[in-house]
Amino acid sequence: MASPFSGALQLTDLDDFIGPSQECIKPVKVEKRPGSGVAKIRIEDDGSYFQVNQDGGTRRLEKAKVSLNDCLACSGCITSAETVLITQQSHEELKKVLDANKMAAPSQQRLVVVSVSPQSRASLAARFQMNPTDTARKLTSFFKKIGVHFVFDTAFSRHFSLLESQREFVRRFRGQADCRQALPLLASACPGWICYAEKTHGSFILPHISTARSPQQVMGSLVKDFFAQQQRLTPDKIYHVTVMPCYDKKLEASRPDFFNQEHQTRDVDCVLTTGEVFRLLEEEDVSLPDLEPAPLDSLCSGASAEEPTSHRGGGSGGYLEHVFRHAARELFGIHVAEVTYKPLRNKDFQEVTLEKEGQVLLHFAMAYGFRNIQNLVQRLKRGRCPYHYVEVMACPSGCLNGGGQLQAPDRPSRELLQHVERLYGMVRAEAPEDAPGVQELYTHWLQGTDSECAGRLLHTQYHAVEKASTGLGIRW
Amino acid sequence: MKDSLVLLGRVPAHPDSRCWFLAWNPAGTLLASCGGDRRIRIWGTEGDSWICKSVLSEGHQRTVRKVAWSPCGNYLASASFDATTCIWKKNQDDFECVTTLEGHENEVKSVAWAPSGNLLATCSRDKSVWVWEVDEEDEYECVSVLNSHTQDVKHVVWHPSQELLASASYDDTVKLYREEEDDWVCCATLEGHESTVWSLAFDPSGQRLASCSDDRTVRIWRQYLPGNEQGVACSGSDPSWKCICTLSGFHSRTIYDVAWCQLTGALATACGDDAIRVFQEDPNSDPQQPTFSLTAHLHQAHSQDVNCVAWNPKEPGLLASCSDDGEVAFWKYQRPEGL
Repeated sequence: MASPFSGALQLTDLDDFIGPSQECIKPVKVEKRPGSGVAKIRIEDDGSYFQVNQDGGTRRLEKAKVSLNDCLACSGCITSAETVLITQQSHEELKKVLDANKMAAPSQQRLVVVSVSPQSRASLAARFQMNPTDTARKLTSFFKKIGVHFVFDTAFSRHFSLLESQREFVRRFRGQADCRQALPLLASACPGWICYAEKTHGSFILPHISTARSPQQVMGSLVKDFFAQQQRLTPDKIYHVTVMPCYDKKLEASRPDFFNQEHQTRDVDCVLTTGEVFRLLEEEDVSLPDLEPAPLDSLCSGASAEEPTSHRGGGSGGYLEHVFRHAARELFGIHVAEVTYKPLRNKDFQEVTLEKEGQVLLHFAMAYGFRNIQNLVQRLKRGRCPYHYVEVMACPSGCLNGGGQLQAPDRPSRELLQHVERLYGMVRAEAPEDAPGVQELYTHWLQGTDSECAGRLLHTQYHAVEKASTGLGIRW
Repeated sequence: MKDSLVLLGRVPAHPDSRCWFLAWNPAGTLLASCGGDRRIRIWGTEGDSWICKSVLSEGHQRTVRKVAWSPCGNYLASASFDATTCIWKKNQDDFECVTTLEGHENEVKSVAWAPSGNLLATCSRDKSVWVWEVDEEDEYECVSVLNSHTQDVKHVVWHPSQELLASASYDDTVKLYREEEDDWVCCATLEGHESTVWSLAFDPSGQRLASCSDDRTVRIWRQYLPGNEQGVACSGSDPSWKCICTLSGFHSRTIYDVAWCQLTGALATACGDDAIRVFQEDPNSDPQQPTFSLTAHLHQAHSQDVNCVAWNPKEPGLLASCSDDGEVAFWKYQRPEGL
């Protein structure tokens, strides 16, 4: 099967050569029992293993398992664990959870929350020929019909990602004299880019990456911390699903940094791609346009959402635009009305400049797609990167063109993408500073904008992955 | 046939190692060789013998697999198993590494300059083909990363006059690429070989492409433009490529390299059976179904696998070859009478 992951991930250490999985070094925890002596192992007809002790007593042995998290956290071998990644997070899993809920006693049930990304919504809107508002309402209707309790929009959590990115940039810009690695600051919302940076360039590039969490992971914090408290539930009692335009987001959700040790639960339990939601609709035999629209849920009571909102600055979140305009205002007192992009060698590499009296004050860029990421990283390595901030995305044309978005075999892909972009842009843009509910959450949930809470719940860390140099890797 | 390929001399180019590849500079005065000893050597003539004029030793951490001269002759690119490609600038007899191109995930298998001199292509075991662009300040930037092949890519070569790129792979296919808007796309896939395709060579006109394979055949492919007289179907505005000739039964082992002389049209092959062979198109053969005859077959040209054959671009009949035995040999080829 052709790899569904972004180009940046495909060229990292995922190798389809299965052999070296013998290299798997995942330590299997074995309970040491005293005085076991020599034991025999018997295999039953059903394939289960029993240890037969010298005294004749038997003990069923647990199967050694390598979980998704083990594979991702380790770099011991070079087997591609793609099938593992995909099967553990799928619409099948969601159905199992919903079915389990139906059978379970009320105290055993889990609260199911689905957070939909604006990009996935735009893709579905294009497919079903609906406007974004109807799509949002009918998706809410569909999910609730199958047993989901709440349906949120990640545009809300994106407010936080953008605000944190803006603040971080201004802080770093001001602190340039003290820290050589302060700039350029590179956007962090794209997991394809993060995984590539961690595995290929490691400790050189990681200090440049923004620590702000992506909208998906801020939503993880919002749902499993804030919302859980509100619902008087522990985080493990909530099953949080996100709907995303790509498969790389499944990797992001599986990162150990987003695993709550105390409650042994992930901030995001399952990521479904737009395509998987489409399959879910088909399997449930539901025609989305025919559903009755339902009112939209909101994380804060103050904001009654009649229609979804979005952000300016393109289909990948608008990081460049928000950080640029905020920095222009904060650092130089300049109000930028419209941001002008200048395309460079290709349409996925564009720059933006703030000039005053012939002097360049801010020099930003957007770099989408592997070839542009390559060039950016190489320039950085040589100390020849002229930018203060770069919005980096692994997919050419950005998130609206993610590997999990819906395809239309009967339409030229460029035309479909333009349609999806138009639908995405139709949604009213809102400045994060003005968005209802956001400031209240900073005050009441996070205890302030630069608090320890905010740092813990809205930021993350990166870890360079050491390449395992294996003798088996040498091939002519 | 015995005298059609005559040995002129041998040099122990990469002692105790393999010599992997050879490249003549555009002027035909220098021969670059590279090998498993991580070095590149530049050879020139002094009287009747070939002597080593330079050794480029600080460039790579592992085997240097291929070398390629820029069309202007002032630069040499080297592709290495250390996953990098070095660009060397020539200053008389000195070569200085001016840039190292990084980015491939693992062993770089080949490098080639486009006829314009502005573009460079590299390919790797990571299954990708990269196109790089050089600017006036000798800065290289990646223009495209092409992931069309499903296995290790062994060789890349540019069309002699157009910006058309060809690649050969362990996935048994040859692929062709061209620029489309701001990116490069795969515009054709040539299927037919039954095993790894090791090398490629365009004919002097660029209308035909020769490929050689682990399946012990050489295939000749011809380009058919849309609206061609022969009625070969094309999809859209892209030309089609059809296999018009297969040379089978001549080689007893894998064919590692094929070289098409730009001066005489002779086709030379480097084989795992330690032999060098030369083929020439029969004078009256049908252009749509050409026939080639074996005009030279030198057994034991080397004591081990022959890895590369290279025709001198200025002196007709001058052929260089290299082998796993670490040696470079020079040959004089003369088309036999009556053939």
